Amino acid sequence: MKNELTYSAAYSKLQVLVEELEDGEIPLDKLSEKVKLANELILICETKLRKIETEIKELSEIRKQTKKK
Amino acid sequence: MPDYIKLSELVENIQEAIQNRFEGEVFWVSARAMNVKKYEINRRCYLTLEEYENGNKTVEIKSVFWSNYYGEIEKFEKQIKQPFSNGTEIICKVKVRFHKVYGLNIDVMQIDVAHTLGVLELERQRTLERLLKENPTTIQLFDGFYQTHNNRLALPLIIENIALITAPNSDGQRDFQQEIKRNKHQYNFEITEFLTTIQGDNAHVLILEQLKLIEKSKINFDAVAIVRGGGSLTDFKPFDDYELAKYVANFHIPIFTGIGHDRNQSIVDLMAREQKTPTKVASLFVDHNFEFENNLIELKTNFFDIIREKLLYARDNLNNANRIIKMASPQKILNRGFAIIIYKDKIITDPKDIKEASELQTLLKNETIHSIVTKKSRNEKRIDI
Repeated sequence: MKNELTYSAAYSKLQVLVEELEDGEIPLDKLSEKVKLANELILICETKLRKIETEIKELSEIRKQTKKK
Repeated sequence: MPDYIKLSELVENIQEAIQNRFEGEVFWVSARAMNVKKYEINRRCYLTLEEYENGNKTVEIKSVFWSNYYGEIEKFEKQIKQPFSNGTEIICKVKVRFHKVYGLNIDVMQIDVAHTLGVLELERQRTLERLLKENPTTIQLFDGFYQTHNNRLALPLIIENIALITAPNSDGQRDFQQEIKRNKHQYNFEITEFLTTIQGDNAHVLILEQLKLIEKSKINFDAVAIVRGGGSLTDFKPFDDYELAKYVANFHIPIFTGIGHDRNQSIVDLMAREQKTPTKVASLFVDHNFEFENNLIELKTNFFDIIREKLLYARDNLNNANRIIKMASPQKILNRGFAIIIYKDKIITDPKDIKEASELQTLLKNETIHSIVTKKSRNEKRIDI
């Protein structure tokens, strides 16, 4: 299910988690669970961002090649 | 049998009478040159000088430029930039000659070029005035510039399909095609040629026919080029024609002229977009497309710059979050020398439940310490870790 999250949705969830962590709002016994969730979210964001970066890079390269033709 | 004399006697009498009257005299006369036959090799030009009234011929007399005066024709053509041809109105210096075989003849010795120039300029002005008067919505004069429907048409972003009106195997055709083919950006143009005579008495009609063909064509042309090389004799009379100028001014595809002359602009030039030479017309098309490509490149660069910035920002944020999360993981906390205290299988954050003799487990990096509380005391001051 989490893989279906968009980058924006995953990132906003992550942001909430980070804010909670920074504010010390998470009880220690929930910490492992939250960190695990955060890592999952980071993985989702990371995968999606890398994919977007690669796609954009490819697109800009394609434009350069067609120009050279 | 009546008294008679020989024909030669009569003709000699005529000759004598004419000689007595005209010998050594020269006259300046205004006339229209017709039946012009130039023999460049013999350097002679035969013609008739004529006069008209209400369209009817009232006078005609045989005339000739002998070889010692043939230079007058060359001078005329060079200055007027038109061929000395039928219908030219001239003022010329003449003398009368009678020849027993060839009869009465007028020898032309000089042409008043300034007069013909004036007549042409007057005609040109009249045509321009008529264009303005009869086409008030499509031809206007602003600050000395003629603005027409045609030369105000917006150019398409890219000029690709070009209709080329030119003379077959002419310098203009060659120059234009060469400049297009050798363009340094290697742009491809589709050029469709509409070949016709572009000089001479009937040229304006022929050019107009080509414009009509372009209109009927299935190809959507982006621009029309009318070009011709600048030869020694650049006749722009066809390009001063009212009907052609009017058609050009109202034409729905932008027209560019490169009809190579330097003295003056033809009226068609004024109605269209003038570039002087075929090469200049071609390079304008190339430059126009280059400008578009340049804008596109700039736009693309800006576009990808913005995207890259956005991605960098996202990447930074993600890295930050990642760092914070990593710092928060219990294992990291233990690695940094902190301990977690467990009481009754729960992590203790508030020590209020812990009393003396409570059994605690202290979780460290590699080991757990089991202990019993012997004393509880409040911290003197807040410990900043």
